[in-house]
Amino acid sequence: MSSTPSGDGALAPPAVELRGITKRFPGVVANHDIDITVAPGTVHAIVGENGAGKSTLMKTLYGMHRPDEGHIHVNGREVRFHSPSDAIRNGIGMVHQHFMLADNLTVLENVVLGAERRFGIGNRARTRIRTLSEQYGLGVDPDRLMADLGVGERQRVEILKVLYRGAQTIILDEPTAVLVPQEVDELFDNLRELKREGLTVIFISHKLDEVLSVADEITVIRRGTTVATADPDTTTAQELATLMVGGELPVPELRESTVTDHVVLSLDGVTVHSAEGRAVVDGVGVDIHRGEIVGIAGVEGNGQSELIEAIMGMRPLASGRILLEEHDITGWSTLRIREAGVGYIPEDRHRHGVLLESPLWENRILGHQTKAPSVRGPWINKAGARADSERIVAEYDVRTPGIDVIADALSGGNQQKFIIGREMSGSPRFLVAAHPTRGVDVGAQAAIWEQLRDARAAGLAVLLVSADLDELIGMSDTLHVILRGRLVAQADPATVTPEQLGSAMTGAGLGGAHESTEGEGGTHD
Amino acid sequence: MTKISRPGTTLPAPAGLGGSLVVGTLLTVALDMVLLWWAALVIGVVVVFAAVAWTGRLVSGGRRAGTDGAREENTVLHTTLVVPTALVLSVASGLLTAWFLDLSLIEPVAAALGALVGSAAAFLLFHRLSTMLALSFAAVLAAGVIAVAVTAAVLYFSGIPPLATFDRMIEYGTRPDSLVRIVNDGTTYYLAAVAVAIGFKMKLFNIGVDGQYRLAALLAAAVGGYVMLPPVLSQIVIVVTAVAVGGVWAGIAGYLKVTRGVSEVISTIMLNAIATGITAYLLSTNRLAVEISTNNIGTPPIPESSWVPGVPAGFLGSDDEIFGFVFLAAAVGVGYWVMLNRTRFGFELRATGESQTAAEASGVNVKKMVFLSMLFSGMVAGLVGLPQLLGSSHYYALDFPTGIGFIGIAIALLGRNHPVGIVFAALFWAFLNQAAGILPFDGIPQEIAVISQATIVLTVVVVYEVVHRWGRRYQQQQIGKQLGATAGPTTQETETAPPPPGGGSADGEGTVPGSDGKRGGEAQ
Repeated sequence: MSSTPSGDGALAPPAVELRGITKRFPGVVANHDIDITVAPGTVHAIVGENGAGKSTLMKTLYGMHRPDEGHIHVNGREVRFHSPSDAIRNGIGMVHQHFMLADNLTVLENVVLGAERRFGIGNRARTRIRTLSEQYGLGVDPDRLMADLGVGERQRVEILKVLYRGAQTIILDEPTAVLVPQEVDELFDNLRELKREGLTVIFISHKLDEVLSVADEITVIRRGTTVATADPDTTTAQELATLMVGGELPVPELRESTVTDHVVLSLDGVTVHSAEGRAVVDGVGVDIHRGEIVGIAGVEGNGQSELIEAIMGMRPLASGRILLEEHDITGWSTLRIREAGVGYIPEDRHRHGVLLESPLWENRILGHQTKAPSVRGPWINKAGARADSERIVAEYDVRTPGIDVIADALSGGNQQKFIIGREMSGSPRFLVAAHPTRGVDVGAQAAIWEQLRDARAAGLAVLLVSADLDELIGMSDTLHVILRGRLVAQADPATVTPEQLGSAMTGAGLGGAHESTEGEGGTHD
Repeated sequence: MTKISRPGTTLPAPAGLGGSLVVGTLLTVALDMVLLWWAALVIGVVVVFAAVAWTGRLVSGGRRAGTDGAREENTVLHTTLVVPTALVLSVASGLLTAWFLDLSLIEPVAAALGALVGSAAAFLLFHRLSTMLALSFAAVLAAGVIAVAVTAAVLYFSGIPPLATFDRMIEYGTRPDSLVRIVNDGTTYYLAAVAVAIGFKMKLFNIGVDGQYRLAALLAAAVGGYVMLPPVLSQIVIVVTAVAVGGVWAGIAGYLKVTRGVSEVISTIMLNAIATGITAYLLSTNRLAVEISTNNIGTPPIPESSWVPGVPAGFLGSDDEIFGFVFLAAAVGVGYWVMLNRTRFGFELRATGESQTAAEASGVNVKKMVFLSMLFSGMVAGLVGLPQLLGSSHYYALDFPTGIGFIGIAIALLGRNHPVGIVFAALFWAFLNQAAGILPFDGIPQEIAVISQATIVLTVVVVYEVVHRWGRRYQQQQIGKQLGATAGPTTQETETAPPPPGGGSADGEGTVPGSDGKRGGEAQ
């Protein structure tokens, strides 16, 4: 499965070489000191957690933005890309995760769109597409209407588009995310075909089993930098997982249990349907007590977001009940649920947590616009909101020159600390914390953990959803694993290891997790 | 934004303000003896500004050494933008005040009062003008210059002398009667622009203001013409009718958007067409209309007891009257500002406009907000036709002005949806319309006013957006720098306190001083 043309690879210059790439965005470093060497004629996988900086890196390589530091070499020549067309001219093409195809056009029209000058738009282009399709075994008919094609075929059209533009190196951004298993196999056959024809493929993914089956070499990215390069023949999925999540990071730890008998939030058979009527959250039942942090582990996209949105009243329940102490809050509006004492740290703070262009003190009001001290009746209490913002800035160590700066000017960690301070104010009974330390630097991370611990000691019940397994294990009193919308296992955070949890999350290694929890686990309903 | 006033440590702020007022006014009065009034005023205000700047620097220089955070602000090249903008604004405000007062007062008094205002502006602007606001003013200024240049180029290539044309326009546009017309048209435009701006704040595009005000004006005129009521009650009923009709008409679009997901752009365009049809249908002698003159029909004239009396414009030197509705427009403007900035509803409206997802997650009922803001937009739109109806024509006839809704869109864009910005935009627009009225007499096409209007809307939108983005990035960098300077030591302390946290620790802290140093190097 990994037939690296080793002898040639050593002699020929690398297809792509990235040296010391650093990319900063205001207040946050997305990539730093990235070093990757991609040998020609190989499938090179880049793996890392969501938010590790894979996409930023690929956008740099594809010329969508310029790195602040570092060099890019293509076939041994240093290049500087100002736009994707520069990258295409240098033989680098990219297939995006979300297809960029027009449904009402034919395959031919989609392929030539924007590249009309290469082979025209008529028979010459059609011939070329047929040739490419045959050469690489893509099986694409240029005259079919895009709307008639399935997902796998569309992806092959995207690959063909890139090849048509003369790409020698193809970047695939999470190509398997939208495919069913059979389609994944077909895609991998195509990739091997491309490799055989001498093309280079850069394959971005966080699905380790797939990476191991198709890649010739694997580079692991964590927190914006390359941490290791692995050979798939000698590496196991668990070793890769450890490299991805990083075992040596400061481990959050709870001191002593503060769990009480008093149930604050009770989920009972909560089921949420997607727009297509599929159950994305399926019969979830869990009780969260005063002073308890309940962790939910799972690969992203297994219903965590939907579960949170259901609790926050942003998504209707198909069936089941949610009880907040004595109240049945099923079907309540988000505002009413928040007023009842539920705090919410959203997973995507830019989309759900802050108004980026508003000053901090106005962001203090957001989500608390019916409660003192932000408002007085129908009026905004500017003085009260400002004073309380000052308090949050001081208590939660938000690094800002003042409360009049817009939220966008702060770094992600400081935005997050402000959000946490806001959600903790008004002494909530229950807190939904989704990825509370995502995209946050190490210092702020420790501070956020400390605040969660303090709040827990003060009797707060917390539902913690995170992709950081260390965080989950270290912070949770109880740990559940979610898979395809169901809680499939319960683990004891005192004994479980990230590796065991990782395999439980993929559904493959359930047994391992069970053993580790000394038979305590099981499907909770 | 980050800049707050720096009252002097040696002399308190009121004393500084008083001092500059006295200096500016006396200097201007003295120079007025030997120079033209405007020259005297310009010199007076500039001298005051220089004095304020000098003392301000001296005073805050001592303070700056003490506080760490504010240190970066004044050293940067940015001062080259904020300070000149403040200077230009204070001179302009002084000149405008003096010119305006000159219409009703004797010249030395007007100049002295102008100098007073200019000096006050100089003191306040120098100390209070925030970077972001200065950027906005600079953007508008730049856009104005570009628009004038484009218009001049068009004139030049058409073989018309640009300077003479501008001179003619300014001369005609500042005549007393023109000023009254400008204020009256501006009142109407202002209401239309506020109606549009309410939608814009929510990212809703109410193109239907045009249909809303026409329908509202027609029905309000019909009520006024057919229903006889005692004086004050009558005006109230007419206004309420207009507001209700406008609200209902826009509410249809809001309802469709909320329940069926119909784009408000499409539905309001359709509703405009339907409103045109309905007014044509109702405005017939069989229905609401009567014969006004030989070839004009309209609703029966509203009795004089139901009119809204105008304000005599004697103080401008004109015999005409300013619409009494100018006060209602002002009230609407104040109400708009209060609603937006001081109420929970306004906060939720702005939040929804800024980020619908964040608003939703915060418990804002987005659908309700969409419907209500559309409704309010329509209610204000209903008022648009009333200054004309109750102040001047007193009936709705075939010649009732149309197209004001679309002008309102342009003015809302020009005024950046800000209640004060829209005032200037509306007056400016009305000025161009009015001033261009003289051009046909000189054989110059009147359309150059339209060219300037179009150019300035385009340039303001583009320049403002560019400057705004640049300003935001600049602010972020500034804050990064400030925090790099102040927070550096603390982060190092926290870094050494816990056990070494491993490879990731260098990202957060390590880069801030790095970028800081780089920028510092650039600055030097």
